Amino acid sequence: MSVSLEQGIPFRPSGPFGRIAWHWRHDRKAELWMSWYAMVFFYNLFGVVFVGLTHVMPPPQPYWDDAEVAQWFRHYHSGLLVGFGIIFLISGLVAACNALIAYSMRRMSVSRAFAYSYIAIYSLSATPGMLLTAIVLSVGAMRPERDPRLIHWLYDMAFMCFVGTMGVFLIGTLVWLIAILIDRNKVFPKWFGYLNICNMITEFVVAPAWIFKAGVFSWNGTIAFWIDTAVFVVYTIAFIVLLRKMIEREDFGDGPLPGNGASLFLAPGLQEGSDQ
Amino acid sequence: MTDAAATGSGATGGRVRYVPGQPDMWAFVLFEALIFSSYFIVYMIRRGSDPDLFLASQERLSPAFGVSNTLVLLLSSWLMARCVQASREKKYDVALGQVILVAICGLLFAGLKLFEWSREMGEGLRFSTNEFFSFYYFLTAIHLLHVLIGFVALGVAVYQLRSPLSRSQEIVETCATYWHMVDFLWVIIFALLYVMR
Repeated sequence: MSVSLEQGIPFRPSGPFGRIAWHWRHDRKAELWMSWYAMVFFYNLFGVVFVGLTHVMPPPQPYWDDAEVAQWFRHYHSGLLVGFGIIFLISGLVAACNALIAYSMRRMSVSRAFAYSYIAIYSLSATPGMLLTAIVLSVGAMRPERDPRLIHWLYDMAFMCFVGTMGVFLIGTLVWLIAILIDRNKVFPKWFGYLNICNMITEFVVAPAWIFKAGVFSWNGTIAFWIDTAVFVVYTIAFIVLLRKMIEREDFGDGPLPGNGASLFLAPGLQEGSDQ
Repeated sequence: MTDAAATGSGATGGRVRYVPGQPDMWAFVLFEALIFSSYFIVYMIRRGSDPDLFLASQERLSPAFGVSNTLVLLLSSWLMARCVQASREKKYDVALGQVILVAICGLLFAGLKLFEWSREMGEGLRFSTNEFFSFYYFLTAIHLLHVLIGFVALGVAVYQLRSPLSRSQEIVETCATYWHMVDFLWVIIFALLYVMR
């Protein structure tokens, strides 16, 4: 293996295993890439579990009676237990997501308080937004012979936790929004800062779900669920792509990030590993 | 698009054309327009399923409040445009005065809206009274939320106009773009809720 005279680092081998070993030993961005891939893995598995396995998304009808709710639990009994078992296993990956987003704020020209606030708020928000829903629905699925009124109570609690506790996310989004807009290091494009406003407003739009059991404002309604979810999906895809671009552009300095962060596509000369 | 005196390459016939403010804010405006359009489409579909209820409920609203709110916001948008123009001409004191007037219009709009809501609630017209009023309170509340965020934008514009060292015409225009969006959305909401028969 030849050795780069400039940096004292061996050149990257061409084989897949050699490349992985090289990145593991010499790539300064290895931890950032691991966090990013953990985030992508988490969101993909989250989608598979909540949509495909447990059928929590889209949520079932809020107006169902005791018998219909009990039937729903019986029908998805295995999916609920297996799916939420997976969620309990991978829920710790939210730490990687929060860490990478907090890292983006540490790279900005803003106070560290932004990153610390974000981690604190989003660590808290995982409890009602994901874990409590998973625990309560697993409890409901665990004993299908339980009193249907109790099952119905668990059903309401789980879906209101899942859909109706968005306020905790609101402040986290606000923290990121302000950090991006006042940042001078151009870590993220300003349009993404403004997109945070859209995501923040969805937290208000979902509020009527506490009042309505049917219609467009209920927990599975067109406005409170579908349009909100569409905005959230756009927002999530945008920040995953922009975090990837941030890692590609990272120079471990404390000034403006090199390259153009405004485009969602790779800037020439900033392909993965090109900085080595 | 805005014309300005040419200062470098790209000038055509002595003038260059550019989008006022940050293009990022225009991307936001387009995305917001898309979200609100989806609300309006859902409203129209629900209205089509029970037109009698929506018409009867619509008649309970006060057109005077709707028209007043519209005029106040249109006036504020006009003042904001004058502010941008004054700022371009480097008449920063005049521009600052215009922003203050815009903020007063915004406060007047919010005050009128709160008074209108309290009056309607006093008449027993609540969020859950029927589907029309659910949409009415939802659309006007989400819009009012945008007006409140608009006060932050106005604050940024005031800060820019008062800071000779860090003054940015682009940021003043960005704030103006946001405020015009708030006005534009209200005009559609007004037409849908108060006017359309």
